[in-house]
Amino acid sequence: MGVAKLKKAELYYHKSVHEQIAAALQETGACQIISTTEENQTHPAEVEALISKNEEMLADVRYLNRTLTPHYVDPVPALDRMLGERPEVTMSELEELASTTDLKAVCDKTRNVEHDTADVRLKLSEARLNVSILSSLGFFEYPLSVITEGTQTLTGLVGTIKAEKIEGLKAALGDFSLFAHDTELIIAPYDVKNKTQDVYVALLYARSVEASVKELCAKNGVSFVEIPATFKETPAEELEKYTASITDLEAKESDLAEKLAAIAQECVPTVQKLSDYYNSLATRYNGTAQSEETDCAMLTRFWLPASRADEIRAKIEAISPEIDLTLADPEPGEEPPSLLNNGSLIRPFNILTELYSSPTYRGIDPTPLLAPFFWVFFGMCLGDAGYALVVFGTILYVFKKYKKISLGVKDFIKLFLFCSVSTFIYGVISGSFFGNFIDSFVPILVPLKNSLMLVDPMTNPMQVLGISLLLGVIHLMFGLLIAAYDKLRSGQFIDAIGNDISWFLLIVGLCLLGTGMGGMLPPHFVQIGQAMAGIGAVIIFLYAGKGKKGIISKIISGFLALYGSTSYLGDILSYSRLLALGFGSAVIGMVINLLGGLAADIPYVGWLIAIVVIIGGHIFSIAINILGSFVHPLRLQYVEFFGKFYSGGGEAFTPLTLSQEYVNVKA
Amino acid sequence: MEMLGLSLALFGAALAAALAGIGSAIGIGVAGGAAAGVMTEDPNKFGSCLILQALPGTQGIYGLLIAFFVLNKIGLLGGAGAYALTWNQGLQIFASCLPIGLVGWYSAIWQGRTSAASIQMISKKPEAMGKAIILPAMVETYAVLALLTSILMLMGVQVG
Repeated sequence: MGVAKLKKAELYYHKSVHEQIAAALQETGACQIISTTEENQTHPAEVEALISKNEEMLADVRYLNRTLTPHYVDPVPALDRMLGERPEVTMSELEELASTTDLKAVCDKTRNVEHDTADVRLKLSEARLNVSILSSLGFFEYPLSVITEGTQTLTGLVGTIKAEKIEGLKAALGDFSLFAHDTELIIAPYDVKNKTQDVYVALLYARSVEASVKELCAKNGVSFVEIPATFKETPAEELEKYTASITDLEAKESDLAEKLAAIAQECVPTVQKLSDYYNSLATRYNGTAQSEETDCAMLTRFWLPASRADEIRAKIEAISPEIDLTLADPEPGEEPPSLLNNGSLIRPFNILTELYSSPTYRGIDPTPLLAPFFWVFFGMCLGDAGYALVVFGTILYVFKKYKKISLGVKDFIKLFLFCSVSTFIYGVISGSFFGNFIDSFVPILVPLKNSLMLVDPMTNPMQVLGISLLLGVIHLMFGLLIAAYDKLRSGQFIDAIGNDISWFLLIVGLCLLGTGMGGMLPPHFVQIGQAMAGIGAVIIFLYAGKGKKGIISKIISGFLALYGSTSYLGDILSYSRLLALGFGSAVIGMVINLLGGLAADIPYVGWLIAIVVIIGGHIFSIAINILGSFVHPLRLQYVEFFGKFYSGGGEAFTPLTLSQEYVNVKA
Repeated sequence: MEMLGLSLALFGAALAAALAGIGSAIGIGVAGGAAAGVMTEDPNKFGSCLILQALPGTQGIYGLLIAFFVLNKIGLLGGAGAYALTWNQGLQIFASCLPIGLVGWYSAIWQGRTSAASIQMISKKPEAMGKAIILPAMVETYAVLALLTSILMLMGVQVG
């Protein structure tokens, strides 16, 4: 239970075995390398060489992964993958695979296809642009070479002009022709009524007058259109040519895409395996790179759990006789990482602590302390026996179907398995089974349901509100006692009493006083409550003034500290969410049953609609309520409970492990 | 005037569902924008982004819940038809709907903003998911309290 004891290891070995050592440390999955602290420290050259060689392979793997994965269709659904349906391989099989796979060849093949694809796409966009230009030149019936090249004496231009300016252009050209040279103006068909549209025009003229014609056109509002020099035939012929080439290029593009997909289908499984392999090697070498060296020996330091020390020592010493491993307890000034070590009932709750922040090595592990509360709170928030059965059944089915779920995922699922039990219990005692399903549809079971009910939030919510707040007080007071214990452990008696015990006395005293006066407890509890609250308040008052000088500031800070009791009031009221969320799930369930009942009244198809509404509605309700029932009890742990005694701040234990992103790698 | 009570009660139910629903829609929209931005960089974050985006959605459900509660209470959902409410009873039901309507509306918007910020946070620090969920949940507290207030008030109103 709690934070596992660690040992600090100093391992001296000959450089010739550094690879085996690194592999062995990684295989144990229980050694966290301690970085060399000095800056600019050079790493052992042998390891550096391995790292840079490995980095080359990793670059190829990353390239292939990035390029091919979008084209890869995984035959196994993503959910199955997440639940552990992945190939199982050993490191030696991967090594074999790495030596027989020609990654470079695959990369070259992929790069060629990528390159060709880019090429085809470029040509395609060019052809599409040409087609769009050509489709507006349909009015021009001569070969376009007249414009792009011209003959010996003749040349031309193409432009656009506003419809309203065409007459002006015609007139100007007419004047011009009178003086010297013939020009031919060809105008694309246009709608005479639309004055502002752009109309395509082409103009043919003698080469000798080009400059003056262009000037004249510009003056009359023609904007010139650049015609690509490759156009030689008539627009119609050119258009046909480019349309054909687009069909051709599109076929090529889809060919290349298929080719890439084929490569992906063939290579991605291998690439994924190799990705895990090379990433594992990278972690391994980066671990031993943090070593000090002499000419022929290396020193690696790492943390390992004390419980596995003997096993790891045996494994390492089997590698070579020239190895020296010394194990030592952490020194007082050292801050080792923390590894949560909880039994199988508590372990699924570890994630709740880790999501917040790991404890420090010498700190308290809050997991076993929060687990029972989280369990109860979750049960109260979801609070429905039917929903609990659905969750429980689904999880059992998942565990039965998927045997290879990774440990982390399995623990997280188990958290919900455990919590479905508390949900079931609370559902039974509050009489909620798929909302009010029993009352609405199976009245036969109502007596059974009622006989098991201990609380009834629907007709007597104040009772459940009282229970919620009482749980809150217990939770908070438990937190204060842990804080006091933590301070006493390190000898801070005054702080433990002034900060924690005092508030415990005050709050518990006030609760006894209140319930006693309300007649819920025998009257002599009133006196006990008064005494406890009084002592608590006095201690708080005195403790707050401890560091202050002068009687006035002592008094002021004392009152300020007592004013802090409002925050406890807020904390306690915060637990009313247990009632509200439990209510939420029950009423949503009720609404769904109500809608189902209404739907059932529709003639002929009503029963079918009712079934769909009830099943679909309850699935939705389960999903949304699980989210709420997870988040809100978690908040009660993090904000109200942890606020009293826990701040985390430790570094989580991160041992050297094998990379398992795509496949399950065994050592 | 004999229908004024019923109208007031319905007006309250409408406000509860509508205001809280509007708030949730805005909140989810704000968070969704941030989620889409993060996913352009890293599509693998879909799962965690979706959870964070869904958080401001509960207010809409709370509003709906209260609206149904009211409809049920005034007998509109059964086959028997609505009870005759005095205008006083109608006003009481109307008042009971205000907490979840108003707080649901506003808290969902602010929760959406916090969710959006949390989504930004996990884009840089995916391991901080626990903290990222708790920050928006802090805002939701007040919607939960408003829901509780509305429910307790409604249960106290005597009709029929």
